[in-house]
Amino acid sequence: MKSIVIEKNILKNNNEIASKIRSALNDKGIYTINMIGSPGSGKTSVLEQIIKHINRKFNIAVIEGDLYTTKDAERIENQGINVVQLNTEGACHLDANMIEQALDCIDINNADLLVIENVGNLVCPASYDLSEDSKILVMSVTEGHDKPLKYPSMFQKAEVLILNKIDLVRYTNFDIGDFYKDVKSLNEHIHIFEISCTSGKGVQKLCDYLEGQIMSKGVNR
Amino acid sequence: MHEVSIVSDMLNIVYENVQLHNMKSINKIVIKVGEFTCINESSLRFAYECLCKNTICENVKLEIKKIKASAYCNNCRKIFNISYTNRVCPICNKFSKNVVTGDELTVDSIEGEQK
Ligand SMILES: Nc1nc2c(ncn2[C@@H]2O[C@H](COP(=O)(O)OP(=O)(O)O)[C@@H](O)[C@H]2O)c(=O)[nH]1
Ligand SMILES: [Mg+2]
Ligand SMILES: [Zn+2]
Repeated sequence: MKSIVIEKNILKNNNEIASKIRSALNDKGIYTINMIGSPGSGKTSVLEQIIKHINRKFNIAVIEGDLYTTKDAERIENQGINVVQLNTEGACHLDANMIEQALDCIDINNADLLVIENVGNLVCPASYDLSEDSKILVMSVTEGHDKPLKYPSMFQKAEVLILNKIDLVRYTNFDIGDFYKDVKSLNEHIHIFEISCTSGKGVQKLCDYLEGQIMSKGVNR
Repeated sequence: MHEVSIVSDMLNIVYENVQLHNMKSINKIVIKVGEFTCINESSLRFAYECLCKNTICENVKLEIKKIKASAYCNNCRKIFNISYTNRVCPICNKFSKNVVTGDELTVDSIEGEQK
């Protein structure tokens, strides 16, 4: 009987593909976002708002992850954006391999910003590097302010947290003070933006921040 | 929820090593799973049973070493156990950002007969 020591990270394969894609995206100076959040938190709505605000200044490409449908991709395409749909057929997260395939189907040479809308899920996508510069977590006030402590790994790994549907906060018992306290205890450096996709509140501030990120990445081109 | 992909990546690493080390059979796979990886053990075992049917891994024991999450306190220079919601050092009551263990997801070793 022989024992063979391996000690290999199970996600190594994903991480290797991701770093290959990352260096290609870096060469092209494309700022890349991995957008994560529960189903219905407003990921597609936020993306539509971002597109509306910065489309005139920057070229945007989108990868839409969805379990089975093309509904979100159609919403994005309606705004005249270069979009590719990835159907995971039940898989609960996107992985780097899928992103590599998607990038074969889309022309990103002129893109300044690549947005990947992940599958609606607060748990699994946290483990998979998609070669993004930034994980943006979209959460809505209707989900309740206890979510950061219930799904901590996602809150720990995100650079940006969008608190969406702020227009509805007065109809809920969402405690903004507790929310900030809990989020900061998990991730001191996270940038939080309170927005409403229906009223447009806070969207400009978010887009100003993103434009800054896109421009500083584009400088390396 | 992503246990199936994890097991499939795990098996690929096992198969690679079976080839590399000329194994004719294996009787044990040992993996490390950190407390913070959100992996559910029974889903993992179920996925494992399904995915290794008719392969060299069928009926092979899967040993899961669970790794407790811990962090290091800069003040006290001590490592202490943590949970997602509590990362306060039990000695000085300071919050620690230095997570030391808990994120492990590795194939540790395999055991078997060589050709
Ligand atoms: N009241 C309100 N509803 C919103 C807001 N943002 C999104 N929604 C609604 O929430 C639902 C889910 O949005 P969607 O963007 O599809 O979420 P996704 O599943 O995360 O992509 C839709 O009915 C949106 O119209 C918001 O800021 N306020
Ligand atoms: Mg969507
Ligand atoms: Zn201490």
